[in-house]
Amino acid sequence: MRKIIMGVAAVGVVAASAYFFMQPDASASDVTLYKNPQCGCCEEYAKYLTRNGFTVTVKATHDLNVISRQAGIPDDFQGCHLAFLDDYVISGHVPIATVNKLISERPDIKGVTLPGMPNGSPGMSGQKSGPFRIYEVGATEPKIYTVE
Amino acid sequence: MPKLVSASYSRRHFLALTSAAATLSTLPLKANAASDFTLRVAPGRARFTPGSTVETAVWSYNHKVPGPELRVRQGDRIRVAVKNFLSEETTVHWHGLRVPNAMDGVPELTQPPIAPGEAFTYEFDAVDAGTFWYHPHQRSFEQVGRGLYGPLIIEEREPPKVDREVTWVLDDWRLTRNRQISDDFDNRHDMSHNGRVGNTVTINGKQPGKFAVRPNERIRLRLINAANARIFGLDFKGHNPVVIALDGQPVTPHQPEDGLIVLGPAMRADLIIDMTAEAGAPHGVIDRFYEELAYPLVELDYDASPLRDQPPAWPIAMLPSNPLREPRLDEAERHEIVFNGGMMGGSFMAKLGGSMPSARTGSMMGMMHSGGIWFVNGVAATGHVMDPLLTLKRDRSHVFVMKNATAWHHPMHLHGHSFRVITRNGAPTPHQEWQDTVLMEPGETVEIAFVADNPGDWMFHCHILEHQASGMMSVIRVA
Repeated sequence: MRKIIMGVAAVGVVAASAYFFMQPDASASDVTLYKNPQCGCCEEYAKYLTRNGFTVTVKATHDLNVISRQAGIPDDFQGCHLAFLDDYVISGHVPIATVNKLISERPDIKGVTLPGMPNGSPGMSGQKSGPFRIYEVGATEPKIYTVE
Repeated sequence: MPKLVSASYSRRHFLALTSAAATLSTLPLKANAASDFTLRVAPGRARFTPGSTVETAVWSYNHKVPGPELRVRQGDRIRVAVKNFLSEETTVHWHGLRVPNAMDGVPELTQPPIAPGEAFTYEFDAVDAGTFWYHPHQRSFEQVGRGLYGPLIIEEREPPKVDREVTWVLDDWRLTRNRQISDDFDNRHDMSHNGRVGNTVTINGKQPGKFAVRPNERIRLRLINAANARIFGLDFKGHNPVVIALDGQPVTPHQPEDGLIVLGPAMRADLIIDMTAEAGAPHGVIDRFYEELAYPLVELDYDASPLRDQPPAWPIAMLPSNPLREPRLDEAERHEIVFNGGMMGGSFMAKLGGSMPSARTGSMMGMMHSGGIWFVNGVAATGHVMDPLLTLKRDRSHVFVMKNATAWHHPMHLHGHSFRVITRNGAPTPHQEWQDTVLMEPGETVEIAFVADNPGDWMFHCHILEHQASGMMSVIRVA
């Protein structure tokens, strides 16, 4: 119970430790993915990352909105879940090409986000109905990072 | 407005001093007494952690979180003077009580909202005995989330025999690192997922540690879920709680399925629990609704000295029925109601072979920017006043066939009536329970039946308050 009761502290600590102080022994392919405990598509996205060579730890949380805000993602641009990879945050169902571009080019941004849950995106069912617009988040207003 | 005595919450008040002259001589003999209360709605401070000096800014009734327990006996007249000291409008809704429409506390629909500095007096009869609660219906996702709620207990004329009666008002709060309420109300993530689930759970406004009990004590526990969105699934480890009422209405005494007391937002359960756990065994109450995030809610702290040698042999009988009219299924009018929307809504509907409302596109964000996230028969509400979803013939039996075509739970609440939950996914429910809020699982079809015997325009909405605020609300007219 104490653990839960300190949920607030935990949010801060968890988010801070994930975002600001990556574990020293974490390799570049380790991903921590925070998701709503009842959201199924986030699990599918975790599997997608695993298939693409990442080691994914999935953590359920009730504080996704808080963690997303702390990670610098405005409410209107939040994806459905939040992954911490290397020094970056990846919000939503971001395709692997963009993930790889991010960690290979290492731009000076906080991370990228694919807002909402577009049909046909990785982990989502349905047909893609248009290009995915992935935004970069950082010090300034979010702007287009890639279009897939 | 009449002057009212400021009532203490733990006992009944028989008269308003100012009206004493007229009624004093007859009151002690009257079967139906009047109970007067005053609720002051105002910003305040609360200490959630026992022993801590850290205070959290809240909104509260009479400077208490929860608000005072209003307790009357069945048949009493209740008068509550509500005085608004907030800087915004409010109302009070008497959740689960079958009150006249004008007393139901829905802004614009049943009354003008109570402006800052203004007051409104609610007055109605305590028709049904049971466990109820009160809360605002104005911007409830924030007003309830900041602490505006309280228990309303209507005692049976002859309550069941127990050693002790206890009310637990369950809630959760989303607190920031400095222990203040996070101001991210009505954000799109919460609205499109499972609502604003908090990170700090309280019972009666305190983070629970231990709850003292005595061996072989019999307790009647009244549980009220006042949370915006959290569903509780309580497992009383080592005990065998017996459910005697749901949403205030008597039910055949039974042990819950899988030993789990599941309460969606706004739902209540009355339990009889004998404190018979074996000495030395863990006595925790676990909340394991969200299995991955299960946690011990409270520890039942057994005293060394038993209250008696054995648990009481008093039979647990069905509570006396409330005066509810029995629906006639053979002549009931059937109404189909489909709920959809929310995250994963498109793919979920596709699996069910349906489709989303035409306003929807492939992108959740496009839909979310248009405002509505949740739909009742294709319509997303934008306020309390709207064309009725259904107009029900008064005093006739009606069946709602409710299809949850979403990927999320929804506790659906009908105002002004209690209904029988008659089937789930086509199978009759074992207890045909009366409820005012029925929890629908993702993809589930639930049928409810009732006699529409309370005239007026009534809210019918999801009690995950973020879902309500983003469209999942409609009006049922009884005429």
